[in-house]
Amino acid sequence: MAAIQASPRLRQRKASLKMRLVPYLFLLPNMAIFGLFTVWPAINGFNISMYSSSNGRTFRWEGAGNYQRILTDEDFWGIVRNTVVYALSFVVLSVVLGVMLAVLVDQQRRGRTFFRSVFFVPVLISPVVAGLVWNWMLERQNGLINTFLRSFGIPEVPWLVDNNLAMVVVIGVGTWMQVGFYMLILLAGLQSIDPSVYEAAKIDGASRWRQFISLTFPLLQPSILVVVVLATIHGFQAFDFIYTLTGGGPVGATTLIVQYIYENGFVSPIRYGVASAGSVLLFCAIFALTIVNWMIGRKREAA
Amino acid sequence: MSNSTVTESAPEIAPSKTWTSTGRRKVTSTDALRVVILVTSALLALIPIVWLVLGSFKTPAELSKRPPTLLPESWGLSNYTEAMTRFNFPLYLTNSVIVTLGATLLTLAINSMAAYALAKYNFRGKNGLFLLTLATIMIPLQVILLPVYQVVASLGLVNTLWGLIIPAAATPTGVFILRQYMLSIPDELIEAARVDGAGEFRVFVRIVLPMCRPALAVVAILSIMWRWNDFLWPLVVAQSESVYTLPVALARFTAEETVPFNLIIAMSVVTVLPVIILFLFFQRQIVTGIANTGIK
Repeated sequence: MAAIQASPRLRQRKASLKMRLVPYLFLLPNMAIFGLFTVWPAINGFNISMYSSSNGRTFRWEGAGNYQRILTDEDFWGIVRNTVVYALSFVVLSVVLGVMLAVLVDQQRRGRTFFRSVFFVPVLISPVVAGLVWNWMLERQNGLINTFLRSFGIPEVPWLVDNNLAMVVVIGVGTWMQVGFYMLILLAGLQSIDPSVYEAAKIDGASRWRQFISLTFPLLQPSILVVVVLATIHGFQAFDFIYTLTGGGPVGATTLIVQYIYENGFVSPIRYGVASAGSVLLFCAIFALTIVNWMIGRKREAA
Repeated sequence: MSNSTVTESAPEIAPSKTWTSTGRRKVTSTDALRVVILVTSALLALIPIVWLVLGSFKTPAELSKRPPTLLPESWGLSNYTEAMTRFNFPLYLTNSVIVTLGATLLTLAINSMAAYALAKYNFRGKNGLFLLTLATIMIPLQVILLPVYQVVASLGLVNTLWGLIIPAAATPTGVFILRQYMLSIPDELIEAARVDGAGEFRVFVRIVLPMCRPALAVVAILSIMWRWNDFLWPLVVAQSESVYTLPVALARFTAEETVPFNLIIAMSVVTVLPVIILFLFFQRQIVTGIANTGIK
């Protein structure tokens, strides 16, 4: 009698222990890879930035020495300046052009899907190829763009030779590659706005511009916030297309922080400590900006 | 395609027509302006790609012509065949395919399992793990490049295809998309399968996964796009030529000027086309996938 009573309870307890383990087993493979290749490196990154190495194998303790070195390095501040100029212009252009394209595509009845797809094509193509093609098209003497301009009597533009123009080109190509992605997010935001809110405005005889400013724009703000956050993160990470577009040149005029990290970490002469200190500073910048963006977004929503 | 959009929005158009009927002229002029801007932007988006494809058919002599010619003299495939036979491009192409497919399969497997646990079980640390996963969207590879490389190096994975496949497989975006989708699967279905005596893993494989097909498709397509175009990580891990992927080979050869430019162009087209074709076939999934993850 006692045995009969005990056995189902025992089985139940056993089963529940197994049941409690099951979700962890499901999580294990993902979290193992995730922990090993993302979480642990993120923590270890701070640690590494306290050491220096010229080959990536033997390390010497530096303490805050790397930070001291990097923060007093004029080249580094030049790279910070380039990165901020790029990221800021990229975010502003992405939002402005993204909203513009999204609104136009949304209002377009005929061929809406076509335009949406076409604007998304540059997002799909390999950034390495994008940089390569634009480099080719912007070639000074024989490039497609200068040839086109010449037919209007405009003299050769030194796109990739002049420091400031090269930065303009990098910003332009970076935006060209990503704006279709942001447009999609904004378009989804636009389409989730209840069309009936426009009815009242139409009855009041508000112009389209007025409707945009006082209705569309405020209702679109959650999507704009998402775009600002993503574009900020994207902007600070830009590297791949620049590698084939300008290579960071002329004379470092378009070298951004990720290229700086890559070159110091992997291209001789290797300065591991400087590279990892740069990575930590980049992480802090992205983290702080993301928080600031969300806080501004929250405040706006509350107001 | 355009037909369906017209019928979709037809009910909204009907009332607006009566409102604008007095100012019809004004409306058509803004419509015209809009179409002009849209068409110009579309040209800006497409011209570089069209120029690339046209260039891939041109001979070196044609490519150096001043001024450049628009259309190639012939549509021969000699640049493609030459790139594939004279250089190691078939190898890079194979590497790219293996890495992309391998990483995507691994991502689908581990992301869906993790998503299932996060969506359908209650356990200690569930919310913490979910938040941790989401938070790492803020930690892109670029900022942990060196420490990740150290892990990969200490595992002996440098210059191997596994070193390209494994580290990027646990995507937070994939976990997120799949979890959101699995939340909509009714618990009763899973319970019913359990009552029938199916084990937990069997329930997952036989019941849950087939129901998640749309979400799995979205994750698969995103993963293929990401891995195929990846550059910084392969650049760092694939140091020897035998493990180059297409983007790494293109970037290195362009910088070194070791491969003639006409062949670089042809290989660029090979690098770009698969993703564009994939997009044309799976547009709807890609668009909804991005719209959903972007918003939430």
